[in-house]
Amino acid sequence: MLRAGAHAQCTRSRDRTPRRRDARGGETLSPDGAGTGRRLQASCPSMDEVQARELLGFLHLDTRPDLKGQATGYILGLTGNVEGRTLLAGRPDFLEALLLLTGDRSLAVVKDSYHSLINLSVAVATHEVLAKELPVLLHRLLDPGYAFADQVCTLLSNLSREEGTCRQVFQAVQEEGLGLAWVVEAFCTEGYNKKAALHYLGPLLSNLTQLPETREFLLDRSRCVVQRLLPYTQYEASAIRRGGVIGTLRNCCFEYKYHEWLLGAEVDLLPFLLLPLAGPEEFPEAEMERLPVDLQYLPQDKQREKDPDIRKMLLEAVMLLTATKAGRQLVKEKGTYLVVRELHQWETEPDVQAACEKLIQVLIGDEPEPGMENLLEVKIPEDVEERLQHLDREEERQQGQQETQSKGPGAQMGSSGLSR
Amino acid sequence: MEAAAGQAEEAGLASFLDKSQTQRYAGGFNPESWEQEFDKIPMFMKKSPAEIDPEQNPDLACLQSIIFDEDRSPEEQANTYKNEGNEYFKEKNYKKAVISYTEGLKKKCSDQDLNAVLYTNRAAAQFYLGNYRSALSDVIAARKLKPNLLKAIIRGALCHLELKNFPEAMAWCEEGLRIDSKEKKLVETRAKADKLKRAEQRDIRKAKLKEKKEQSQKEILLAAIKERNIKLFLEASKEEDEISDGLAEMSLNGLSSDSATGTKVYLDDNGNLNWPVLFLYPEYGQTDFISAFHEDSRFIDHILVMFAELPPWDSERKYHPSNLELYFEDEAREEMYQLNTENTLLQVLQHQRYFVKAGTPTFLVLVKHSPFSKNYFFGKKVHRLK
Repeated sequence: MLRAGAHAQCTRSRDRTPRRRDARGGETLSPDGAGTGRRLQASCPSMDEVQARELLGFLHLDTRPDLKGQATGYILGLTGNVEGRTLLAGRPDFLEALLLLTGDRSLAVVKDSYHSLINLSVAVATHEVLAKELPVLLHRLLDPGYAFADQVCTLLSNLSREEGTCRQVFQAVQEEGLGLAWVVEAFCTEGYNKKAALHYLGPLLSNLTQLPETREFLLDRSRCVVQRLLPYTQYEASAIRRGGVIGTLRNCCFEYKYHEWLLGAEVDLLPFLLLPLAGPEEFPEAEMERLPVDLQYLPQDKQREKDPDIRKMLLEAVMLLTATKAGRQLVKEKGTYLVVRELHQWETEPDVQAACEKLIQVLIGDEPEPGMENLLEVKIPEDVEERLQHLDREEERQQGQQETQSKGPGAQMGSSGLSR
Repeated sequence: MEAAAGQAEEAGLASFLDKSQTQRYAGGFNPESWEQEFDKIPMFMKKSPAEIDPEQNPDLACLQSIIFDEDRSPEEQANTYKNEGNEYFKEKNYKKAVISYTEGLKKKCSDQDLNAVLYTNRAAAQFYLGNYRSALSDVIAARKLKPNLLKAIIRGALCHLELKNFPEAMAWCEEGLRIDSKEKKLVETRAKADKLKRAEQRDIRKAKLKEKKEQSQKEILLAAIKERNIKLFLEASKEEDEISDGLAEMSLNGLSSDSATGTKVYLDDNGNLNWPVLFLYPEYGQTDFISAFHEDSRFIDHILVMFAELPPWDSERKYHPSNLELYFEDEAREEMYQLNTENTLLQVLQHQRYFVKAGTPTFLVLVKHSPFSKNYFFGKKVHRLK
């Protein structure tokens, strides 16, 4: 069981680079503390070199299955806390051993190994070793019969978070002969792998689109790629997949040269961003007709996107689309204001409310002065940049505190592999 | 030499001309029927006959057997039919093209690529004839033989688009784009299908919402009628849950004969019912229709307006407001009730023996003490005002 990932950072309009989906932390797993007495002293994370060597001795394919199972269980326990992670992240020998055991015959061992690796991949220090296995991991990811494709997917999504490793992941994707097109194909094919939901392909795509070259591919006008992702902004079965796609779309919205195409009839992105933000409110006929067809006559039980972070990303994406004059015009024409106005009245999360207000200002405000028309290209004086960055850090810090208060370690779920 | 040859030629020509003056050329056309004869020569034929009879058309049968030589392999024959079909297709003669491709497929040749092309081409011809279902089944047959035949996939997507199967059209486009990710027709068709699909979904939502609203308005109206103890006359069934059906009926055939306006009872903004009301004048076979009779209005108020001037059909000039009597009929018991014109519509509708029929309260208007009135009520039980 995976803890929901850390959340996307707020994006100011001065940002000139897309963000990866998650700025802090990674997908980590942690064991449940109680009732697992079978573990080898899991409560004590410290380990001297002798103990480490002894433990490493169990991490082989030909170790007795019960011992191997206990060893990987113990490792997973270690990776559940910061000290254990720091300890293991600096040990390429352990990482390599765990990678090897993902090919073990015992499913429990494979699962524990993957989950340990997922936890460890949060630390950038592990990436060098893990990146060597990218070709194998990608092959497993896209193998429709591989039972642990979900774990691989989560691992890759963690790895692609950091820009350098992300580039390596992308390279491997391209070199494996199948390319990004296949990742998109797997994403869009319901039941691609009967044993894995592959929802983490969403965050993976989102992370990959921090690179301009992946954005170029998704936004290739002669193909049909980004269009196929659009329906997933309303994918109810998984907030991971939905959030991933919306993060991907938001990243794509940084490419202002594509804004007119994205907003035009060929892609028609805007309704897909607005629909999750729309509620069941009824509009007068005249106003209703101004909305995109997808937003007209919504049923009385229409629900808004449940996750406030996703709502915020949606608003940020729309905001980015208003960066150019032509884009602003198109966004204004399609009744965006009506939807955001209603959302603002309904919204209770302060930061999402703030995002609504920012967007409303652009939608109902005057056109900016000449030279400021393209908000993504405006030059920001250094001192202002610095001040804004300071504010950003401040905001993050506050949000981080709220996060710990509201979720806390108690929300971390145990891995089911451990109790066996 | 040359001169001699020239002379001989000249002599030949002269004798030929002489001959032609006197006797007819054996293979010549008949001046009366040359047009029909002309059409029988393969080269000048405007249409090829559906059935070629070697007795009547030996030349054509000959040519036919050269092209479609039964001795040639089925593959060669099928290929010839394919080419023939393609020729017809180019001329936009799609019906003929379909026939040619069908002939080609009948050869059941072993070249599956060729068969796939025959199916795909026949699908295209059917498509242009508007036979989208036939086209689609051909495309499916083609793909069974050659799953990645892009032309077949494109045709299939277009068929689904025409058949308004938008999700299927999109799925076919996406399958095709897996083979050629930049196929323009597929990218365009997918966008078109997506747009139409979304518009269709909007229309469905709109219709649903409208239906729901009408239903709830109907329920409110029914509740208002029930609350007033007004009874609706239900023909088919008297069960409780059939009442809404009764009302549906009421709105449907309520006023078909007398009023083309389709007026029906409605609740106004003040929560009052307004009924369409029909007055019958049996003596003259005339009627008056009030499209919205406010439930709190009195009958006399309407009568005073309606008969402020005598109606043109009142030849005896007796339909003065003060002379008029109003009745309603209790159909179940075949009894008549006189009503007080000072009463409001609501008061009358609440009468224990009043049933609203077909959504339109109906009243009879007769002249007091008139011979017609006496005649009219003869043998009926009439409850008169005291």
